[in-house]
Amino acid sequence: MTRVRIFPQDCKGLENCGICTFVCPKNLFHSSGVMNDTGYIPPEIEEENKCTGCENCMIYCPDFAIVVEKKSEAVSYDGETEIGS
Amino acid sequence: MNSEGHPLKKYIRKHITKTTMCPGCGNGIVTQAILRAIDELGLGMNDFVFISGIGCSAWIPSPLFDADTLHTTHGRPIAFATGVKLGLPDKHIMVVSGDGDLTAIGGNHLIHAARRNIDLTVILINNGIYGMTGGQTAPTTPRGLKTITNPYGTLEHTFDISPMVSAAGASYVARWTTYHPRQMTRAIKKGIQKKGFALIESVSQCPVQYGRVSKIGKAVDFLKYFKENSIKINKAKEMAPQELKGKIIIGEFMNTTKPELAEGWSHLKCHLEERH
Repeated sequence: MTRVRIFPQDCKGLENCGICTFVCPKNLFHSSGVMNDTGYIPPEIEEENKCTGCENCMIYCPDFAIVVEKKSEAVSYDGETEIGS
Repeated sequence: MNSEGHPLKKYIRKHITKTTMCPGCGNGIVTQAILRAIDELGLGMNDFVFISGIGCSAWIPSPLFDADTLHTTHGRPIAFATGVKLGLPDKHIMVVSGDGDLTAIGGNHLIHAARRNIDLTVILINNGIYGMTGGQTAPTTPRGLKTITNPYGTLEHTFDISPMVSAAGASYVARWTTYHPRQMTRAIKKGIQKKGFALIESVSQCPVQYGRVSKIGKAVDFLKYFKENSIKINKAKEMAPQELKGKIIIGEFMNTTKPELAEGWSHLKCHLEERH
């Protein structure tokens, strides 16, 4: 399971940047339609479960506005350890 | 920058809320490549002194990085860096600046630092135009491009920076575009570790100035352009010059080991102290 966090206040908008929409191999980024404090419209992610965790969006984002968190660490579940969930 | 969770945020000054770059600028991608390279090498900001000149890309280390930085006069960051390296030979010295600063105004400093093979890591961000001052022709502007200073198209030929610096005597030279940030990170890591002059030429987009005059378009169109027009150096060696017209040759241009200046100075100093 991978978690993608978008920081909308750091984003400089899909209109003139939009690099995340181009580099995502699964096309998961779409316009959120909500303007941030500086007047840019950041993206939102749909169907986060389809994310492959390639980290392209995080590495390419020029404004440090996307973080990909891979939960490959062991997750405790009913006393047992599930790896790679 | 308010990204609490971004792993590279720890290297950025606490009071910085926004970068000075335009939306879609490639400088941000290069910034992250530099910080990721430092992070992956296990180094800290205290191991570095960052030096920049004048221009959009010179704004990367000076306000952003939580480190010792020098924001110097136009074209002179390598001259300052030479002094800093000889004064503080144990530090990693990194110069971050643009093509206008390092190859036009400071062209001779670049060539001679490469010739001396002083242990600097130079990140040269090449966007092919003077972005900050409004889109004037730079030495890296492609021939024929209509800019505000050459409304009928520039008649001058283009500086091919990486082969020039390789020929001048640098130890490590690589060129990548902002479409290749992972490769660029690896190149920066090699450049930091190289004992000698290292140049990483980052071909970057300026959607505001270059995008307007070249009709390439916005940031995403630039990345597509870099993807389609980049050719690996090994493949380019087998191609005819006509086929390479308008293409960006990427890869490692030079990776060699030879005597370094700061080390030579310290050896000389020890030798003279023993004699007297």
